[in-house]
Amino acid sequence: MLSKDGWGGLVVLATSLLLFGLTLGLADNPLVPIGPGFYPRIVLGLTAGLGFWLFAADFVSRKKSEKPEHKLNYAAVLTQFGVFGLYVAALPGLGFRIATALYVAAASALLAPPRGVKGWLGLAVLALGTAAATWLVFERYLLVLLPRGRWTDF
Amino acid sequence: MLELLGAALVNVAQAKYLVPLVAGTLVGIVGGALPGVTITMTIIVVLPFTFGLDPLQGLAAMTGVYVGGSAGGLVTAVLLGIPGTPSAIATTFDGHPMAKKGEPGRAIWLGVWASFFGGLIGGAFLIGATGPLARLALEFGPWEFFSLFVFALSMVAGLVEGTLLKGLLSGALGLVVTILGSDPVMGRERLTLGIDLLAGGIPFLPVLIGVFAFAQIMTEVERSGGGAKLALAVDGAVRLTASQLKIIWEILSRPVLLLWSSFIGVLIGVLPAIGGSAASVMAYDQAKKFSRRPEKFGSGIPEGIVASESSNNANVGGSLVTIMAFGIPGDAVTAVMLGALTIHGIQSGPLFILQNPQLAYGIFAAYLLAHPIMVLLLALGARWALRIVTVPKAALFPAVLVLCVVGAYALANAISGVWILLAFGVLGYAMVKLAFPLAPFILGVILGDQIEINLIRAIMTDSNPWLFLTRPISGGLLAASVLSFVAALWQHRRMQNKAAAAAGDADF
Repeated sequence: MLSKDGWGGLVVLATSLLLFGLTLGLADNPLVPIGPGFYPRIVLGLTAGLGFWLFAADFVSRKKSEKPEHKLNYAAVLTQFGVFGLYVAALPGLGFRIATALYVAAASALLAPPRGVKGWLGLAVLALGTAAATWLVFERYLLVLLPRGRWTDF
Repeated sequence: MLELLGAALVNVAQAKYLVPLVAGTLVGIVGGALPGVTITMTIIVVLPFTFGLDPLQGLAAMTGVYVGGSAGGLVTAVLLGIPGTPSAIATTFDGHPMAKKGEPGRAIWLGVWASFFGGLIGGAFLIGATGPLARLALEFGPWEFFSLFVFALSMVAGLVEGTLLKGLLSGALGLVVTILGSDPVMGRERLTLGIDLLAGGIPFLPVLIGVFAFAQIMTEVERSGGGAKLALAVDGAVRLTASQLKIIWEILSRPVLLLWSSFIGVLIGVLPAIGGSAASVMAYDQAKKFSRRPEKFGSGIPEGIVASESSNNANVGGSLVTIMAFGIPGDAVTAVMLGALTIHGIQSGPLFILQNPQLAYGIFAAYLLAHPIMVLLLALGARWALRIVTVPKAALFPAVLVLCVVGAYALANAISGVWILLAFGVLGYAMVKLAFPLAPFILGVILGDQIEINLIRAIMTDSNPWLFLTRPISGGLLAASVLSFVAALWQHRRMQNKAAAAAGDADF
């Protein structure tokens, strides 16, 4: 059975070979003697070789996957990535201010669920405060444009 | 040189530059003091704020973060025994025992002044070495640049913690990122995989921000769920006063220790992608080896604090040299600074100091001025830094990620940058879980285009591939790459054998 290293090596090897195959279809430029696929082939050859080495070293050593000393909360990680993905997807539609307030509220509440009225109030202040302060500092003072909502025009 | 430096010092002392410098140093101290928030993350947070500033204002703020962050970690390291940043790890060895013995003020101020003197020694090297090294780099042709970048990459892959193979693979994966989307020589599309987002290539800043920010935040989330906050182990009445002259004398009466530790810091800083943590641990180890009382190390003696803190601040000067002379970031923090230069349309590398002397000397001046500012801010607010560590991570992490989004979006005012941020955030976290070092990956992403451009340029100038070996500097650099690879291989083997021997001993 492969450990994480072995699987990682296999993924790198497969991806490198796939991309290497795609470089063979790149047409050369008549003005430049070296085509756009020349350097990618060197790099992908290197990653394929190293990926295979990682896989083979793991296969030969047959080391078992190490279990972490502490139980890790992968569900929290997955949820945070999910919420962030939703935030990115919602940004063009809702606009920076609304999407950011919703994101901060959701992410923070999932990390440490608020308790009592004070907790919820604190969460609301954090979410609205972060969105408002960021928008004010960047749009108003630093003149950095932030996304405006397609659906909300806000 | 001194004239330019004097003019730059006067220039940066104006409110226009001083305010961002002070603000950056303050933010750096706070970020450095917060356990779980590295200087890299702090500078990533500051990056979007620099978009609306002029280049020197932005770089002054970032230099302040770098200097402040390197010193800020010592507050929690000394008072709580928890290093605020990895570069303060060695400070805990003697700083915390000294504080526990009832001398927290002495421990803090030894660290602050050692950071100050170490930083200034690093600054002297920065100012003295950048120009000559940049002039040397001007002699380079595409062969030499290609070999230099390969050397930097091979060195990083070999010197990072973990296995050599993973270091090499991580660097090579960074190069893969640069071959997707666009050919940097002719600008033609290639390997876009049918994804519009890749058509113009992948900008390196969202990659860098995503990889580092998510890798760090998600690693913290998986451990604690984010709800945890540090218990304040030191009561609010702790006295941090100490006789400043006595402390300064305590440091300056050990000139060899100070100079040697600072030298180690500078040297480690010059080597690409090895940060202050390696510098401080190495300097601590050296101080212990050369000490007349090595058995006292770890019990709260000043030598341990001086070695660690002087080296990690001198390290900053070394890191800035490589970015200013060669355009190669010394670590993740200078990689972000490189990004800030790019955003303002400034090309780092050997021509940087010649084409932008005011900006280059402005950075030197900001670096020098950041040190007294750091001392002043710590004098005023070391006690407050302890309060800051009680900020709940559930509030901090979403706010940091919002600033990352602003940084990634504002680069091109396009949401594509934010998607890249997320994609590489996932990749960065996966790499951490698979124990792949992140530093070689980032260096690969940063140098990939330059490696390709110089390789193609060299071959188009003269198709003889032996020139890479027969041109003295290029050949020397490639030989150094092989040597560093062999040395790393030997080092890793030795460590494996040691570990195996230790395991064998344990069995019996």
